[in-house]
Amino acid sequence: MKKKLAPYLFLAGPLALYFIWVIYPIFRTFVVSFTRWDGMTRPRFVGWENFIRLFNDRYFILSLLNNFKWMVGFVILSIPLGLFFAMLMDQKYPGHKVYKSLVYLPMALSFVVIGQIWSWVLEPSGGIVNTFLRWMGLESLAKPWLSDPRIVTYSLIWAALWRQVPYAMVLFLAGLQSVDREHVEAAIVDGANAFQRFWYVILPELRPAMVITITVNIIDSLRAFDIVFVMTRGGPYYSSSVMANYMYIQAFHNYRMGYGAAIAVIQFLITLGFILVYVLNVLKREERL
Amino acid sequence: MKKFLVLVLATIMVFVFAKERIVINSYMSDPAPRKALAELVEIFQQKYPEYEVVVNTFAHEDFKVLLRTWLASPKGTADVVTWFAGERMRYFAEMGLIVPVEEVFEGAKWEDYFPEAFRSTCSYKDKIYFIPQSWYWWGVYYRKSVFEKFGIKEPKTWDEFLQVCETLKKNGIVPITIGTKFPWTAAGWFDILNLRINGLDYHIALTAGEVPYTDAKLLKVFEYWRQIIDKGYLLPNHTAYEWQEAATFLFRGQAGMYYMGQFIKDVAPTEVKDDLDFFRFPIIDPAVAPYEETPIDGFMVPANAPNKKGAIVFLRFIASKEAQEKFAKDLGRLAANVAVAPPDAHAKKGLDMILASAGVAQFYDRDTNPEMAEVGMNAFIEFMQNPGKITDILKRLEAERKRIYGK
Repeated sequence: MKKKLAPYLFLAGPLALYFIWVIYPIFRTFVVSFTRWDGMTRPRFVGWENFIRLFNDRYFILSLLNNFKWMVGFVILSIPLGLFFAMLMDQKYPGHKVYKSLVYLPMALSFVVIGQIWSWVLEPSGGIVNTFLRWMGLESLAKPWLSDPRIVTYSLIWAALWRQVPYAMVLFLAGLQSVDREHVEAAIVDGANAFQRFWYVILPELRPAMVITITVNIIDSLRAFDIVFVMTRGGPYYSSSVMANYMYIQAFHNYRMGYGAAIAVIQFLITLGFILVYVLNVLKREERL
Repeated sequence: MKKFLVLVLATIMVFVFAKERIVINSYMSDPAPRKALAELVEIFQQKYPEYEVVVNTFAHEDFKVLLRTWLASPKGTADVVTWFAGERMRYFAEMGLIVPVEEVFEGAKWEDYFPEAFRSTCSYKDKIYFIPQSWYWWGVYYRKSVFEKFGIKEPKTWDEFLQVCETLKKNGIVPITIGTKFPWTAAGWFDILNLRINGLDYHIALTAGEVPYTDAKLLKVFEYWRQIIDKGYLLPNHTAYEWQEAATFLFRGQAGMYYMGQFIKDVAPTEVKDDLDFFRFPIIDPAVAPYEETPIDGFMVPANAPNKKGAIVFLRFIASKEAQEKFAKDLGRLAANVAVAPPDAHAKKGLDMILASAGVAQFYDRDTNPEMAEVGMNAFIEFMQNPGKITDILKRLEAERKRIYGK
């Protein structure tokens, strides 16, 4: 009897914290999303009003679309690039550890720092990028990266990739550890060239790592916030806003707690959807094993 | 047991050496004002040794968010909080979250301390809720040496102003700098143009949500604004810069003018500081008397303050000539107290400009409901980037106004 109790006693503390800091706030957010509330006076129940408003709110739609741009950008760029670097780093050559650390370095920086650095790099008049382009005689390619509503989101995604790619690389490097060397060697014996070895042997064995990396990137793209906050604050006029950012502005600048909560709920549901897909995937694989 | 003893000891100590605590939550997080306030508190404690003052400082933007939680919580912690006069203050007064502070004047009247003109912006329903500390003016800042170099004189009218822009532009200098990464700088332009074109009463009615944004008179404001946009007189890519970053273009002589508050001097390098001067924003319609922007900063007392008595004592000190003089001197701003002379020639010029004006406004985001201010200021940026879309932008603003004010 005692033996059975012990794990639950150990779990009780963390679980209690989890309920107070995670489950309860989620529940509260759902409740608040059905109210109109300035954060101070008594909340007023308004039913679905906030949600209906949201889907007529062009800036929310814009934020949602921007989140999808982030998602696409993260998946189609950080996955191949991460994999490329992982393959490169997985080999042993003189100084490979130094290169590994160099590529890994941005991971050690927070998005806030990366955002600050990239604000300088992309600064329109004296930033490195535009200065370089002008120096190369490519004046026409020098752009107001952070102030043109049409390109600002891509500039932000680019800056975020600075950290996202090494992140993907680390996940792939871990995955590469589990690739069976014997399979690779067998392929070599069978006369497979480098590409074939990669495509037919390594890639299929990287499948678990691939699923994790894609899912993590999708979830990260949905919770994008810090870089946007630091580099543009969602501007110019909301054009680079993402859901988390718009939620923050509505809730804490405009004091529309209910409306902000409704945004959070939608963001939560979308993210939950992807997490469920991932968890189901993992469960299915474990059953197979 | 040990814990208990410590507790007993602590309680005894509190009673023996009891100093009444006054807690001040402050947004003065920039080095200069932070230091000025700390020194004021020091002086206060020497004068009133029975009080112990604790100052909690928060970054400006954080403070705006946190203030509401302090005011709304059933048990208060702060006795005095820094804030802005005008609608920003009234918003809390209306909800009963701050208290009237008439007691500060002890037998005297508001007019014995502060200009009559400040009264309305510091009160709600004829009761004073706000003790002003300092204020400053907005003006068109420029570098004397740059103007001299091109033989430019301070423009008095809109046409002269456009002429100055043209001269600067011809000489390869960006006529007007502005940084709109945080959109309030654009609101400065909106305010002053509206004040020059439609006057103070109209502006106040508009910021109070009583005028539709689709009003024809308002469209005129954007038509004037558009002149400088279309002619390319504004700093390109201004949305990429914070106001301080935009100021460096002025400091380096790459830009000619900046419509800004006096605090621009806080961030100017020493070698440029004395080269900076300002002029009154040009007159557009001679039939409209000149009105200016003069945000007022000060203090208020939360309704849940644990030590209201102490708060009043502290505010009495803040309102005094001595305290106001020190703060104004330290920061080169104007004291709210009428007995205090402007601290330097620059401030004197600012004061004279205000005295010659027919009335003053606070600032778009201080006079307007916070939510409307947020949409409004972003709309101004959108207009600055797409002046052609103005009717569409104003239509959307009007829809927001209707929703926010419910009329």
